[in-house]
Amino acid sequence: MSQDFLLPDLGEGIHEAEIIAIKVKVGQSVKEDDILFEVETDKAVVEVPSPFTGTVEAIHVKEGETAKTGCNMITIGSGSGDAKAPAKEEKKAEKVADTKTQILTPVGKASEANGGNGKTAPAPTAAPAQTAANSQSPAHHVNRDIPVPAAPAVRALARELKVDLYDVRPSGPHGRVMKEDVRSYAAGALESRVGSGSGSGSSSAVATSLRPAQPAISLHDKYGGGDDKADKTSGGSSMPSMQSTPSNLPDFSKQGEVERVPLRSIRKKIAQAMMKSWTTIPHVTTFDEADITGLNATLKSAEKSFAEKTGSRLTLTAVVIKAVVSALQKYPQFNSSLDDEKSEIIFKKYYNIGIAVATEKGLIVPVIHNADQKSLTQIAIELQDIANKTRAGKVELEKLQGGTFTITNIGAIGGTNMSPMINHPECAILGMARGADKPIVRNGNIEIGTILPLALSFDHRLADGAEAAYFVRHIINHLEHPLNFILEN
Amino acid sequence: MPRKPIEITEKIEYLSILDENANVDTKLEPKLDNDTLKKMYRFMLLGRRTDERMLKMQRTGRLGTFPQASGHEAVSIGSVSAIEKSDWHIPAYRELAGMLYRGWSLEKIILYWNGYEEGAVPPKGVNDLPYCVPVASQLLHAAGVGMAMNIKGDKKVALTYFGDGSSSEGDFHEALNFASVFKAPVIFVCQNNQYAISVPLSKQMNCKTLAQRAVAYGMPGIKVDGNDVLAMYVATKEAVDRAKAGGGPTLIEGLTYRFTPHTTADDPKRYRSEEESKEWFGKEPLTRFAKYLQNKGVMTAKDLEEMEAEVDAEIRAGIERSETLSKSEELMNPLAMFDHLYSTETEHLKEQKEELRQYLEHKKKGKKQQNHTAHPEVSSAK
Repeated sequence: MSQDFLLPDLGEGIHEAEIIAIKVKVGQSVKEDDILFEVETDKAVVEVPSPFTGTVEAIHVKEGETAKTGCNMITIGSGSGDAKAPAKEEKKAEKVADTKTQILTPVGKASEANGGNGKTAPAPTAAPAQTAANSQSPAHHVNRDIPVPAAPAVRALARELKVDLYDVRPSGPHGRVMKEDVRSYAAGALESRVGSGSGSGSSSAVATSLRPAQPAISLHDKYGGGDDKADKTSGGSSMPSMQSTPSNLPDFSKQGEVERVPLRSIRKKIAQAMMKSWTTIPHVTTFDEADITGLNATLKSAEKSFAEKTGSRLTLTAVVIKAVVSALQKYPQFNSSLDDEKSEIIFKKYYNIGIAVATEKGLIVPVIHNADQKSLTQIAIELQDIANKTRAGKVELEKLQGGTFTITNIGAIGGTNMSPMINHPECAILGMARGADKPIVRNGNIEIGTILPLALSFDHRLADGAEAAYFVRHIINHLEHPLNFILEN
Repeated sequence: MPRKPIEITEKIEYLSILDENANVDTKLEPKLDNDTLKKMYRFMLLGRRTDERMLKMQRTGRLGTFPQASGHEAVSIGSVSAIEKSDWHIPAYRELAGMLYRGWSLEKIILYWNGYEEGAVPPKGVNDLPYCVPVASQLLHAAGVGMAMNIKGDKKVALTYFGDGSSSEGDFHEALNFASVFKAPVIFVCQNNQYAISVPLSKQMNCKTLAQRAVAYGMPGIKVDGNDVLAMYVATKEAVDRAKAGGGPTLIEGLTYRFTPHTTADDPKRYRSEEESKEWFGKEPLTRFAKYLQNKGVMTAKDLEEMEAEVDAEIRAGIERSETLSKSEELMNPLAMFDHLYSTETEHLKEQKEELRQYLEHKKKGKKQQNHTAHPEVSSAK
């Protein structure tokens, strides 16, 4: 006899959970209370134990997926016997659904009054529901004699966005309309899927402003239907989106072995952030070189005593941070952000420099706050500290927030130059490639010097090429003539 | 008309008898017989294991959201074992161990957190009120019960509980003030687990102790190691004796720690450091009491092991009974919700009950006609 385990409400009114880890494999025998999944809800990361003892027959969800409550997670058979009595099985599965319904969704009765088929989300065969776009979600509420089940906050939102709840396709249990449903309906994203053309044209501007605050939407929703361009073309999702590409991909497995890994956690966030940067900021990159022969020698000579005194390394990056702050003070547009909606440029009067750090899980950018108020020594110490903490995954959340400008240094690895991508919503990013000994012309003679290639990518809406060239020159002047640091004060 | 100091002489004491390493202060140690000691430990254990089992049930969809009680056993059992059956026990929501001690069955507890009002019916033979979830409201019930007993001339006490967060509620002030003014025989026990969900004690109050608030109300107050069941017993017993002799209420602060999230919907990792939790796990109430019982020769390691098995079987049987009951026709009947508010049915309730009955009939018929798959409710009622 097999039993299905449906995702319960793991907190108070939680309606979905992201599968962080699956702790068992098909064919594995499990005991009651063994941990099956680790899932993350809006409120907490929790371990989900097995309610049955038996053998795992099927796992219906994947790591990285978001499962709704009532979604069939796993089927567990009772040890020796295989699936002999399907009728009984189904009944059992339904019973689980029963208990769930009683305990967790007291408003469930509303769906009955709905005129539709009473059984909706917790059907034992329901496929893992992922987004509002789930094809299994029930039809929207057509009978206007009966109120649409929706929480007061959802009703308020619908009123605010001028959305008629009867037009919205519900994604909640028992046909309940959720906030996301109202938002995506208002944005017109759902319009094309539902195929009904009524009542949302006016509200897309409102919805656009709401969009960024809405974390649970899919990438498709985020990039495909929400921004200005898509609204103008009015054809719904005409923007190239990350989610639509898989269907256009060739079958790679024909060429050899492949492995599919869910896009999640830091990788997913990087993908989203880069997509946003690349699609919303007009990038321009300017390249230059700094002759750091002198600076390099100075740093080398100070290396040992600095390490003995502070326990930290005095690095080129630390000096570049100081030079960047000085350049930002002179050219404040590179420390600004564009408020597209209000058509205003926001000049920040503080200098928080982000440093791109490569970690095992992906790129993370911790921030040195108020770098203008810190000495070179303080910056060198803090730089090493946050880089170490970031690599160990122990950096504090506040250290990852509030950056105004980013520096990325690939010099330790190599590279003759690069074209870095701006860390949205900042204005610019400075890339440092490898500082290497090269033949250079000094006073008509070819000499050997240490050359540091620099690249500045900037938002061309906020700054122009000439300013960018000046900005980089300012940095180079400080690196080539460190006396400038003292002279300018 | 001079300006001169008013002497406030009350001192707040701190009481600890059995420390975290199971060292016992033999001068302060209460004289309890072996059976009582064993019983106290058994219900602490039953409370702990039930709490753990209930979390697993919640995580697999068999139980609704509930506030966990692990870590609060010594405050609960130490105090409840100092009152008589005929005294009043008025819990908040972390007194699982104490409620089991008072005779609440496991199935009732589970029914309660699954939303069945049948789970709120107190057991026979004791004067208990059910769980009280709205914070601090039970303190007023207790003050009222205490005042009523004074009027009736009942020589009993009311024992009630609240958390550190509750102490910032207006109800707390009203209850303590009334109880003190009217010399009501009430013992107010604070389960000070140092967090009101995520709000730490330092943001809750700007005082050395919670117990010192007693001074302002004109009643004795004491701070107790809330993971020390013996100290909790001694402090409560003193308060009970005083109340029964007409000495009025007492405030007892039991300092403890919640070893779990606030409720099943909470993630304490977001507001408590790992070091802090670890430090408090080291002061856990059951371990030291078990050691004490062994050192004293009341129980052997084998006895303790056997008790674990016994408790586990008891819990499993209780859950099974609860799950059978929760599917029974009687408990699944929605019409029963009209039955318990008044001793005799009022006209408007009669009307509403009839309306609902007709609606249910109508629904049943509709289902049959449409030949739909039966709705869970209807199918299980058959």
